[in-house]
Amino acid sequence: MSHSFNLPPLAIEEYRLANGLRVVLNLDVRVPVISVAVYYNVGSRNEREGRTGFAHLFEHMMFQGSENVPKAGHFQYIMKAGGTMNGTTSSERTNYYETLPASQLPLALWLESDRMRSLAVTQENLDNQREAVKEEKRLRYDNQPYGQIFDLINEMIYKNFANSHSTIGSMDHLDDATVEDVQEFFRIYYAPNNAVLVISGVFEAMTVRELVETYFGDIASQPLPAELDVSEPPEVAANYKEWEDKLAPFPAFLIGWKIPPRRTPEFNALYLAGKVLYEGDSSRLYQKLVKGEESVIQLFGFTDERRGPSSIFVGAIPKPEEDLSAIREIIMEEIHDLSVHGPTTAEMEKIENQLVNDTVRMRQGSLSRAQQIAEFTLYDGDPSLVNRELDELLAVKADQVRLAAAHYLNTDNRALLDVVPAGKG
Amino acid sequence: MTSDLRKTAPPPLAPVEFDIPQPHHETLANGLRVVIFEDERLPLVSLRLAFYTGDINDPDESVGIGSAIASMLTEGTEKYTSFQLAEKIERLGAGLSSSASDDFTVVSASCLSLYSSEVLTLLAEVVLRPTFPAEELDLYKRNTVEHLKFQRSQPGFLAGEQAARLIFGIHPYSRVSPKAADIEKLDRQSLIRRHAETFVPNDAVLVAIGDIRRDEFLAELRDYFGEWQTGAKQKSEFRGLPARNSRSLTVVDRPGSAQSNIVLANLSIERDHPDYFPLIVMNQVLGAGASSRVFMNLREEKGYTYGAYTRLDSKRLAGSFEATAEVRTAVTGDSLKEFFYELNRIRETKVGDEELRDAKEFLTGVFPLRAETQEGLTNLVMNQHLYSLPENYLQTYRENINKITAEDVQRVANVHVRPDETAIVLVGDAEQVLPQVRDYADTLEVFDTEGKQQDESKYAATSANELADAAGKWELKIIFQGQNLPVSLTLKQDGAAISGELDTMLGKGTIADGTINGNKISATARAEMQGQSVEFVIAGKLENDAMSGTITTPMVPNPLPFTGNRDCTAQKSAA
Repeated sequence: MSHSFNLPPLAIEEYRLANGLRVVLNLDVRVPVISVAVYYNVGSRNEREGRTGFAHLFEHMMFQGSENVPKAGHFQYIMKAGGTMNGTTSSERTNYYETLPASQLPLALWLESDRMRSLAVTQENLDNQREAVKEEKRLRYDNQPYGQIFDLINEMIYKNFANSHSTIGSMDHLDDATVEDVQEFFRIYYAPNNAVLVISGVFEAMTVRELVETYFGDIASQPLPAELDVSEPPEVAANYKEWEDKLAPFPAFLIGWKIPPRRTPEFNALYLAGKVLYEGDSSRLYQKLVKGEESVIQLFGFTDERRGPSSIFVGAIPKPEEDLSAIREIIMEEIHDLSVHGPTTAEMEKIENQLVNDTVRMRQGSLSRAQQIAEFTLYDGDPSLVNRELDELLAVKADQVRLAAAHYLNTDNRALLDVVPAGKG
Repeated sequence: MTSDLRKTAPPPLAPVEFDIPQPHHETLANGLRVVIFEDERLPLVSLRLAFYTGDINDPDESVGIGSAIASMLTEGTEKYTSFQLAEKIERLGAGLSSSASDDFTVVSASCLSLYSSEVLTLLAEVVLRPTFPAEELDLYKRNTVEHLKFQRSQPGFLAGEQAARLIFGIHPYSRVSPKAADIEKLDRQSLIRRHAETFVPNDAVLVAIGDIRRDEFLAELRDYFGEWQTGAKQKSEFRGLPARNSRSLTVVDRPGSAQSNIVLANLSIERDHPDYFPLIVMNQVLGAGASSRVFMNLREEKGYTYGAYTRLDSKRLAGSFEATAEVRTAVTGDSLKEFFYELNRIRETKVGDEELRDAKEFLTGVFPLRAETQEGLTNLVMNQHLYSLPENYLQTYRENINKITAEDVQRVANVHVRPDETAIVLVGDAEQVLPQVRDYADTLEVFDTEGKQQDESKYAATSANELADAAGKWELKIIFQGQNLPVSLTLKQDGAAISGELDTMLGKGTIADGTINGNKISATARAEMQGQSVEFVIAGKLENDAMSGTITTPMVPNPLPFTGNRDCTAQKSAA
């Protein structure tokens, strides 16, 4: 069906300021709303040993005020203009974004440029945000059942420190952070030539170019940070680990595989393999384990897309009396079957429709458009990939899925994390 | 640009008008109300069919039945098995799901417009002809029972369960979840009967948004849903809501918690109450967002928490108003102090002009953003219909917000924010938390995570001002494999909070977030040893200048007992 389906491309206009800031404009007049996304090319992958958690701590610092914006003023300006905003940190990048009524574009550009130019890095802000980050860690990781398993398995999959350590980082390292460390981090990574600015929604092309030049044009560029080595040997760092989780009510396990970087043909094929295995109620593992064997309370799987070596996961929370190794055997049998027979015609048709549906649905919102465009610009240097990614995925053949499953998944080169409930203290 | 121009926020550009598109309304002969938005912007369709029956309508003898029916709709019909349904929907790249909330049951579908007829057929199939196969119902029951156990491991669930019990009493809104025994009682015949009673077209509304032609769509609807028979509407008659007249404290003991979940709950208004607009403006000032008062205070100024909020949850017949945060254990008492300060302040002092304007500008400005996607627009329209709000509700929303004055805000704060009647719910380590918070209410009850009430006298009623003094340098001996290993602790004390250092032969560790409760100290030291971060969990008891207890570390399997004394000569310089 996809061949008869004609999806008009998103309008993409790309240029670069003299200071190196890459700017992408995506005009879309459906609803009078504007989204601005600023992506900095810095994530936990850039952290060195002894300074983990820095990229994320920094994301908090970016809301603590700059030369002309008071502490926490960012929230207030955006909210009182009827907007929403946030920032997030991953291994790959730190992003900041806001969605506002279209008339408020100048406000968004003023706020983003002021902090890119002149962030207020003070001891008081640092101390306060360190505490907020510690509470975030307690909330999301330490005080949740199974809260730490994804950080643990990354340490088992990756050997290179840049890839293996967690984004939330170590609290000791955060305690060690000095104001000078934070200032240095800002100088190196928060330069216009290390960032991408995407504007999506309703705007007037001439006005927006003038505004961008006005607010960002005179921010000084910086020498780019040194090239980062994220290379990995093919083997996982550790095959097995048992983790005692004080808060977990049931045993659980997580299997992780190391796979090639995002947008490689192999990664795309494995992304499709994942859909066959674990996405939706008609997926193979759901039908086998949740339905057929009725042995699992919760089944999940996903790919972690990175520019370097990436990963794919399958995990399950089995029912209390179930034999975990039998469940894992079923998972490996399905993977074996996929690597021998490949996906069926019906499965390929399903994936095609899901990919088209996901792509069209993503285009509804200015923020999701801006975010996708920003990723392609930052990672691949090509915003127009937002219009071609669907074709790349639709081009994957059933046999490529089979071969990728055979090579990367149907192997003992995988990490298995067993979660053992450690009862109440 | 010159730095002068950067000094102040730029004015907005000319506003771009946005009118919520006008829908087409229709009522089918069987009473089904239909709302259609023709929206050709993208080749997508979103459908939502809602019934005015929710979990609160469950008969007493079959609690949980409404949610069970909703979940089971896609688990087998006259034409298709559970797998066939999943396969048919997913093969179109579409979604079809259904769920029940307190007041309503909603079946949602979304797809590429290319497949809208197929998906509408499937929607009709699951709504009109579910068969609730016995083996699928068995699986649902077993999985739900496991899920009920699982959710007891989540502190947010435990807090919500207690808060609902305390403010809604015997009203069915107090049930945030059925009990295992309720689920086990469900049987296929009662599901079939209850489905026939509650899934009636004259008690439902269908919203369709997307790339559809109104006439074609209505013709299809009449084909697929035309035979659907009118039935009796459900009556909503419930037991009364309790009156509260004092503050209460309820603690769910979750030993080993890294944080305390705080919920301060009051009964509040139903969704169509005349105070709804002033109350959401009040809530915006007080705690709805990241620039509201409680967030600015507890997170930005104090650093107690990752987020602190207030929330108004207005349901069809009543509502709740809650202040919530997850804070580190040692500042649980301090957090209550700040929360109550803010709850009182908004009652006692009129909000400033700027604060009021900011809150109103947020609420009016964010409104079009919510209509950006089909899902967002569907939500707005669906809520208008489900809560029986006026026809022009969406069109007049911004006007209604702009009318609110500072006097309105103070008035509704005094009526609806009632610190003296608050139900305080804390989920955390009771032994650590109780001494900090005991004085905030006259009554105390303690529960375990299974929901069983505990004897609160078990938890020594020490209060915060009877803390032992732990500050100083402590020379301790750990007994390990028959040997005495020296360890020293250098502690600083600030109220109930303990920080300091642990010094062992293997290396030094830092204590950042220890606490003291009466004469019991608990703290975790983190040390770097051979490139690894190692944790030492210290649990000790103080008697003047003596300390004894255990240290637990993942490096050895069992807790290590220790004893030791304060080095009184070093105390002054260390503290």
